Amino acid sequence: MTIPQSIHTGTLTTTGNVLLKVDNIALGYGEGAAEKRIVDALSFDVGLGEFISIVGPSGVGKTTLLRGLSGLLKPKVGQVVVGGHVVSGPHPDIAVVFQDYSRSLMPWMSTRENVAFPLQGRGAGKAERNKEAEAALEAVGLGGQGDKYPWEMSGGMQQRVAIARALAYNAKVLLMDEPFASVDAQTRFDLEDLVIDLREKLGVTIILVTHDVDEAIYLADKVIVIAEKPATVVDVIETGFGTHRDQVATKADPRFQDARARILTRLRHND
Amino acid sequence: MKTLTNILWWLWLPVVLVILWWFASAQSTNLFVPPLQKIVESTIRDFGNGLLLTAMATSLVNLVLGLLIAILFGVIFGLIIGETRRLRLILDPFIHFFRSVPQSALVPLIIGAFGIGAEPKIYAVAFACVWPIMLNTIDGTRSVEVGVRQVSRVFGIPKMLYFRRVVLPGAMPQIVAGVRVALPIGIVVMVVSELFASNMGLGFYILNSSSTFRIPETWGGAMLVGVIGYFLVMVFSLFEKRLLSWYFKSAAR
Ligand SMILES: Nc1ncnc2c1ncn2[C@@H]1O[C@H](COP(=O)(O)OP(=O)(O)O)[C@@H](O)[C@H]1O
Ligand SMILES: [Mg+2]
Repeated sequence: MTIPQSIHTGTLTTTGNVLLKVDNIALGYGEGAAEKRIVDALSFDVGLGEFISIVGPSGVGKTTLLRGLSGLLKPKVGQVVVGGHVVSGPHPDIAVVFQDYSRSLMPWMSTRENVAFPLQGRGAGKAERNKEAEAALEAVGLGGQGDKYPWEMSGGMQQRVAIARALAYNAKVLLMDEPFASVDAQTRFDLEDLVIDLREKLGVTIILVTHDVDEAIYLADKVIVIAEKPATVVDVIETGFGTHRDQVATKADPRFQDARARILTRLRHND
Repeated sequence: MKTLTNILWWLWLPVVLVILWWFASAQSTNLFVPPLQKIVESTIRDFGNGLLLTAMATSLVNLVLGLLIAILFGVIFGLIIGETRRLRLILDPFIHFFRSVPQSALVPLIIGAFGIGAEPKIYAVAFACVWPIMLNTIDGTRSVEVGVRQVSRVFGIPKMLYFRRVVLPGAMPQIVAGVRVALPIGIVVMVVSELFASNMGLGFYILNSSSTFRIPETWGGAMLVGVIGYFLVMVFSLFEKRLLSWYFKSAAR
């Protein structure tokens, strides 16, 4: 895969270098008086190479927010800026891994074709596409499985394919919408560690949305807590774990426990 | 062994029916219900002298060309209409109207408008078959998962590629079902179209024999149409299994 090495930051610093800026956005469904406002006055910055978790209860508007960030839903107010450009629609610097892997992979395509499809959309030739797709599959631990179809794979493997597809697109920012919500606990841990690993190796900037507080803290450099109706940022917590994580040790870390208590209290008060 | 049992199980009823028919009709003196033996004899004779083969070839060519035109237009317009909400709302009543018109009744009009020869017959078949194919294609495009659409938008898939690699395959199970519905309609219209201003094809063979009171030939021709229909559906099923293997295999999980 040809992920530019320049993005790789080694030890992560979040100062300066803002890659993505969410500037006071409001999102809603419907127009004018009939509008149902879901997100309001919401702002945050994401540094290059940073891993951000956005945590909030079910139904608060996390998916809506990600649709706003990815250009699928136009903000009513405010703007999303990535790499200096206002996002006004789907953007080549933004890739998305959707919540429901089984509905986002195309059953009529092999996994290789699924992963290569966005590259085909960019006009890449077949040989190049397949090479990139194979590399991306390799990166998510599915090397040599490109000929299989999504429906021949387990849920966890399908989500790996969806991640590979986003990686192959070679975007600067990876948006993930509760990517591990529908797999079993062990697979979930494996996938979490895969994503941490990919971030460390490839230096992609990741924004992951989840309702699971533990997952949010475990993965991120910075946890953004959203709540209220319409949803807005109620807290921001720097975890300070660095790039390395361990399912047991990290979760036993006092900073983890503190962050957990703080977020849970926050969310309880906003019920 | 298993396939042999299957074949036997599948054959016994037709065989019994044919035997019953053979003996029940053997003594028939009713002009319109000739003995089966006579039907078989006349059919074999007309196969031997090439009459039926030419008629079959003519009819099948019309049918296949008509179907291909119907598939081409039905699928292209179905995809476009299915993906365009406005068009769908405006055109839906018209499509249902044309679908509900008895197609055989329109055949004389089409022939009247386009004249004699093969072309109007091909148009008649195409016109009759295009509606179920188009309607199914529209339904098929509607059944494409939202997730898959979102993926295509997020990754900036160009329109043509999106139609070719996402909507078309996603709608394919229903498109194929539409063609399956259109096939027997096409066969009926093919025969009916040859009853007008024609001197070729199976329809003409049937009409001509019946108007000159060669009733065994009339029966033979009609039954041949049935057999052809049966084989076409069989061949189509094989094609369907190959084309939609992803669909059948993923549904089996
Ligand atoms: N397409 C839509 N049209 C109207 N309302 C919607 C739509 N999608 C989601 N909503 C509403 O927006 C709110 C937030 O939904 P969502 O963003 O999916 O929340 P979350 O992902 O946090 O569970 C819910 O009340 C939901 O009913
Ligand atoms: Mg959601």
